Amino acid sequence: MFSFTFMIHALIGAVLSGLSLAIFAPFVTLRRISYMGEALSHIAFAGIAISIITGINLTLGTLVFVMLIALAISWLARKHKLQEANTISIFLSLSMAIGIIIISISKNYSFDLASYLFGNVLLVTRSEIVWLGILAVLNILFVTFFYNELFYLTYNAEMARVFRIRTSLVNRIFMLLLAANIVINLKSAGIILVTAQLILPAVAAFNLVHKLSYAIVLAAIIAIVSALLGFFVSFQMNLPTGATIVVVEALVFFISFLGAKKRGF
Amino acid sequence: MIEIKGLQYRLQGKSILENINLTLADNEFVAIIGPNGAGKSTLIKLVLGMLDMQEGSIEIDGIAQAQWLKDNSFGYLPQHEEFDRAFPATALDIALMGLAGNMRLGARFNATHKAQAMQALEQTGVGKLAKSLIGRLSGGEYQRVLLARALVAKSPYLILDEPEASLDRPAVESFFKLLKTLHESGRTIITISHDLNILSKYCSFLVCLNRHLHCHNHTELVDAKMIHKTFGESMHIIEKGY
Repeated sequence: MFSFTFMIHALIGAVLSGLSLAIFAPFVTLRRISYMGEALSHIAFAGIAISIITGINLTLGTLVFVMLIALAISWLARKHKLQEANTISIFLSLSMAIGIIIISISKNYSFDLASYLFGNVLLVTRSEIVWLGILAVLNILFVTFFYNELFYLTYNAEMARVFRIRTSLVNRIFMLLLAANIVINLKSAGIILVTAQLILPAVAAFNLVHKLSYAIVLAAIIAIVSALLGFFVSFQMNLPTGATIVVVEALVFFISFLGAKKRGF
Repeated sequence: MIEIKGLQYRLQGKSILENINLTLADNEFVAIIGPNGAGKSTLIKLVLGMLDMQEGSIEIDGIAQAQWLKDNSFGYLPQHEEFDRAFPATALDIALMGLAGNMRLGARFNATHKAQAMQALEQTGVGKLAKSLIGRLSGGEYQRVLLARALVAKSPYLILDEPEASLDRPAVESFFKLLKTLHESGRTIITISHDLNILSKYCSFLVCLNRHLHCHNHTELVDAKMIHKTFGESMHIIEKGY
C-alpha cells in the first residue's frame, strides 16, 4: 500500500491532523465550545465562496476569513457580554447564507458538498503536509508555553482576569490557532472529522485521567492511534478513511467510558 | 486607601447605585450591609474592575483604578463561583490561581509558589484537601479553597462577597476570626455580609447601602433607625448563640 506516495502523504496527513486537533480538544471540551469546531467549519464555507469569487488563494482567503470571525466572536462575547453560543450561531447562519448566495451567483462553479463534509485525506499534497506539520508544532508550543494561562482561562475566564492572569492575548491566540486548525484540516478531514477530532479524543481521555496535562497527552495518543488504525482498516476494507477514523475514535470513547464506569472514575 | 467619588451605575435603565462617595482608609475591617438588590455586589465588582464604570471615579492608593489594576490585584472571594464539577483541577491548583497573575507570561509554578498556596490552604483549614479534585469538595470546603486563593494573592486588600453564605454557623465564627488575624497583620478587609451580630464583633467600619450610601459609621453606631433607613423596614438584632 505504501508503494504509492499519495498513500504515505495520506497517512502522515491523517496522523498530523489528529495530533493537531487533539491537543486543542481538552480545552475545547472543557470550555464547552465543541460546537465551535463545527461552527467555524461552516463559517469557512463563506470564506471558501468569497475566495472563489474574488480569485484569491483558497486556503489563505478562507483562513483569514475564519480567523477574523473567530476573533469577532471572542470579542463580542467578552466585551458585549453576548453569549458565546448565540454569537457563534449568528455568525454560522450568516456565513452559510453568504456562502450559498455567492455560490449560487457564481454560475461557473459547482461546489462539492461531499468533500466539504467528509474531506479526502487521499488528496493531501506534500505542501499541505508541511502546513499540517507546522501547525502541529505551533499547537504543541502554544499549549506547553501558555499552559497555566490556558488552564485558568478554561477554568473561569472572569476570575482569571480578576487575578490579573493575562488571558486576553492567550485567548486571542487560542481562537486564531483553532481557526487555523479547522481551515487547514478541512480539505483532508472535512467538517465531520474535524468536529469529531475536537471532541472524541478529549472526552475519552477525561474518562481515564483527571489531570489536564495528562489528558492533553492522552488525547494526542488516542488521536494518533485512531488515525493509524482507521487508516489501515479503511484501506483493508475499502472504506472512506475520514469516516473510519471517526468510528475508531468513537469506539475508543465507548471503551474508555465503560472502563471509567467500572472503576467508579 | 480606596476613594470612590460620584459613582453611579445603571443596568437596563434601572438605577443600581446613585452618587456613591466613600473613602475606605487602609487597614480597616469594612462591612457593607444592605438589603438584596441594594447594589452591594455591584459596588465591589466596580471596585474590582469586573464591571465597566459608567459615571464617577475610583482611586486606589491615590492612583486611578484602571492604572492600579495594571500592576496590582485584589484578593477576592466571590459569593458564588460557578464552576464545572468535572473540571480537572485540585484545590491546590485553584489556590495557586491567586499567584498566577504576579508571574510573567508562560511562567511555571515553582516549589515556593506551591508552599505559599499550601500555607494558605492550611490557614483556611483545607490543607488536607490540597490534592482533592474540586468536584469532590463540599460547598463550604470549596469556599475555603477560594478564600485561600484570595489570601495567596498577597494583595493589601481582601474583598469578600457574603463569605458566610456557604458556611455553617460555627464555621462563620472561625472564618471571621481568621479575617481578624489577617486584618491585624495589616490587610484591609472589605466584606459584604448580612450577619450584623458577627459584624459588630469584628468590623471597624460599616457601610450601609441601598442604592444610596445611607451612612458609614463605626459598628457600635448600628441602631434601629439606621437599619430602618438602609433596609426600609424594621429589624431586630437577635443574638445568635455561636
